[in-house]
Amino acid sequence: MNNYIVRRIAQAIPLLFVISIVSFTLIKLAPGDPVLSFVTPNMGAEDVERIRQNLGLDQPMYVQYVVWLKNVLSGDLGYSLVNHRPVAEMIIERLPATFGLMGVSLLLSLLISIPLSMIAGSRQNSLFDRGLSLISYIGISIPSFWFGMMLIYFFAVELHWLPSMGMRTVGMDSAWDIIKHGILPCTVLTFMNVSVYMRYIRSNTISQLEEDYVQIQYAYGATKGTVLLRHVLKNVLLPVITILGMSLPELIAGAFITESVFSWPGMGSLGISAVHGLDYPIIMGITMMSSVLLVVGNLIADILYGVVDPRIKTTG
Amino acid sequence: MKSKKMWLSMMLVLVIAIMTACGSSGDGTSSSSNTGENTATTDNGQPKDGGSIIIAVQDDPKVMNPIYAGDRVTLTIDQSLYAPLFNVNDGKKTYVLADSDSFSDDHLTYTLKLKDGLKWHDGQPLTADDIVFTMDSILDEKQHSSSRSQYVFDGKPVKVTKIDDLTVEFKLPEVSAAFEGALVSFYPIPKHIFEGEADIEKSDKNNNPIGSGPFKFKEYRPGEYVTLERFDDYFAGKAHLDSVTYRVAKDPNAANLALQNGEIQMRMVDTQDYNKLNDTGKFNMLTYPEGRLQYMVFNLNVPSMQKKEVRQAIAYALDKNELITASYSSADFAEPAPSILTPDTLYQTDDVEKYDYNVEKAKQLLADAGVSNLKLRLAYTNTNKPQTSQALYIQQKLKDVGIEVELLPMDGTAYGNRTLDMNNTDFELSFGGYIMGYEPDAYKSLFLSDAAYNYSHYKNADFDKLWNEAAVQIDETKRGDLYKQIQQTVANEMTVYPIAYTKAVVAVDNTYGGVEDANPKPVVMLEDLSKLFKK
Repeated sequence: MNNYIVRRIAQAIPLLFVISIVSFTLIKLAPGDPVLSFVTPNMGAEDVERIRQNLGLDQPMYVQYVVWLKNVLSGDLGYSLVNHRPVAEMIIERLPATFGLMGVSLLLSLLISIPLSMIAGSRQNSLFDRGLSLISYIGISIPSFWFGMMLIYFFAVELHWLPSMGMRTVGMDSAWDIIKHGILPCTVLTFMNVSVYMRYIRSNTISQLEEDYVQIQYAYGATKGTVLLRHVLKNVLLPVITILGMSLPELIAGAFITESVFSWPGMGSLGISAVHGLDYPIIMGITMMSSVLLVVGNLIADILYGVVDPRIKTTG
Repeated sequence: MKSKKMWLSMMLVLVIAIMTACGSSGDGTSSSSNTGENTATTDNGQPKDGGSIIIAVQDDPKVMNPIYAGDRVTLTIDQSLYAPLFNVNDGKKTYVLADSDSFSDDHLTYTLKLKDGLKWHDGQPLTADDIVFTMDSILDEKQHSSSRSQYVFDGKPVKVTKIDDLTVEFKLPEVSAAFEGALVSFYPIPKHIFEGEADIEKSDKNNNPIGSGPFKFKEYRPGEYVTLERFDDYFAGKAHLDSVTYRVAKDPNAANLALQNGEIQMRMVDTQDYNKLNDTGKFNMLTYPEGRLQYMVFNLNVPSMQKKEVRQAIAYALDKNELITASYSSADFAEPAPSILTPDTLYQTDDVEKYDYNVEKAKQLLADAGVSNLKLRLAYTNTNKPQTSQALYIQQKLKDVGIEVELLPMDGTAYGNRTLDMNNTDFELSFGGYIMGYEPDAYKSLFLSDAAYNYSHYKNADFDKLWNEAAVQIDETKRGDLYKQIQQTVANEMTVYPIAYTKAVVAVDNTYGGVEDANPKPVVMLEDLSKLFKK
């Protein structure tokens, strides 16, 4: 098992390396010039040139990449072109907000989607099942920014129940205040995730219920509830782990948009500003961090797979 | 499968649209009762002390140090955090940190006296040393300040020396009428904080800025807000409000909702949102000239644009008033522009060729030029709503005189890059907008033959000479004459078609008073937040 983990990590390193080259090239090939995003006509051409030199943007692309890579390997993600602060510091201060939001919504999504979709699967084509399918379709079809805006309109502006944006009331530092601010963005993310998970879990439940072992349990006189809880649940959990690993990129992307709509001060809002300003040290920092997360996420999924189902060997 | 998805989404949209409609009628009644309450408190008259305001900004500030500030958000925050030497509004100078200033007879020495008893936010005195230090830091190439070239004349930097604690002398290498204009954006930074700092731009000290303005720094939460609190030792008198918070609101639609919800109390809004917010009766909608010109450029790199008659014909073929109504919904938000200089700029004149709408004349000019079946490409930024409407209008209108226009909507950064390419021939027409301030000399970076921002690529040595003469002309009447000639030249040559002087709209919750005293200002919304008070 340990061997397996070491091997997987060793495989991940060249992968991350390739990701870094591809993303660096893509950012550099994107139209626009980071310097132009903060240049005004009041600035003379020589000022612009000096700033470009100072940021190392006058160097050929491969030189810029090598400089970047060297810094990263020595643990330095560089300075933001726009804010002139260390990239690592800027990302770290945004992490808790993003992880908090993603973590809570992920947990809620599982708690909601597993029981609901198992019930729906076991009562195929019932009103309950059709209702859930409809909701799931809606969740997949509507854009998250639009859904977010609707929630703000009803719960913040019309009903005055919840704040519409940010992570806390200015100058306030209570957990309850942060929770209140988190409810709407968390709802959006959870709804989106639940919609995706529900479809997988439902169809998996249906196929499990057709398996022989279920029929045998019925023959022994077990009720539907016991069968679902004792036998089907375990087999349904397996694909959920894979889905989680696979849906991590979507989760991150969804969180980015949602953060922007709600001005939630996480990595998403940071990333979107960086893209607007072509602030490549930040874009690279976030890309590499997301890639590491993805690799680690998939690794954990594989390991957990082995834990849940010992038949799958992770030594191979 | 696909059609099923679409059907479902459409149903949902319908349901929500009905719900929204019901919701907004409810809103209407609640806001009218609000208006009633507000009028009751308006009669209070005298400013009260206390309270706070939350102002929405689009993004985080960049470096909170005025020698690097160039973006809207940072400039807005700096406006309250740092005090300038003086302000100029409609050509009238009001001193802030400075007490007086004067030029020597030969116009090469400029003497500036500071007010007595000025203080930094940490209690240290603000003196001539700070002015000298700030100017030296801007001029020091190693500090790469973005405003260095404003103080360098023909390759030679201005020299600054301290005469006594309150007096500074600037020695110019050559006469420049533009020097004083550049000083408007000069905000001193404290020497005792930054002295010896190798790289001021990356210094940690920028995260805890010490300024000299009416509000001092209190807290910055990245991605969330910057809070400033009242500076009690401000030389021009204490501010009324206890604190000012600039809150990051990324999404403009969500920010408008937060404004209606009372979570933020002031925000610069798009003109399209004017009616929606105004109808709630909750806001004082400040509409004021932004000092900005919206214009269309003819790209003279392309042969078909090199004939003056063709450019003039296009100008005659457009009805400026219609164009403005089409793009800004009403003339309330944009005034027809005759000149390339905005009305707040010194020596701006209306006395130029105005090209009143005349289709026959346009056709005649095209015939005279021997041009027929002209096909033009018009480039603009795809996310800019007014520009999109303008492009569509121009496409329609030019069809009447037999010119076919292909529209090229582009991504903002790509567009910026193309327009800055000196050899660009990708399109004949494009749009732009600028805010250059009150000093006309600042505009020359858009018009000189070899200037980086000469989007029309119009090259004319005589025209360059006018700009350069005007920059060093001290006699005001003669200077005014030169700038009049410049404006007339552009109009006659029709290298740039000025469309409109646009206005800014700022919504301020109407529980705040003193808005007029705070002086609405381009880019930064309000010039002096110390005058604002909670009713």
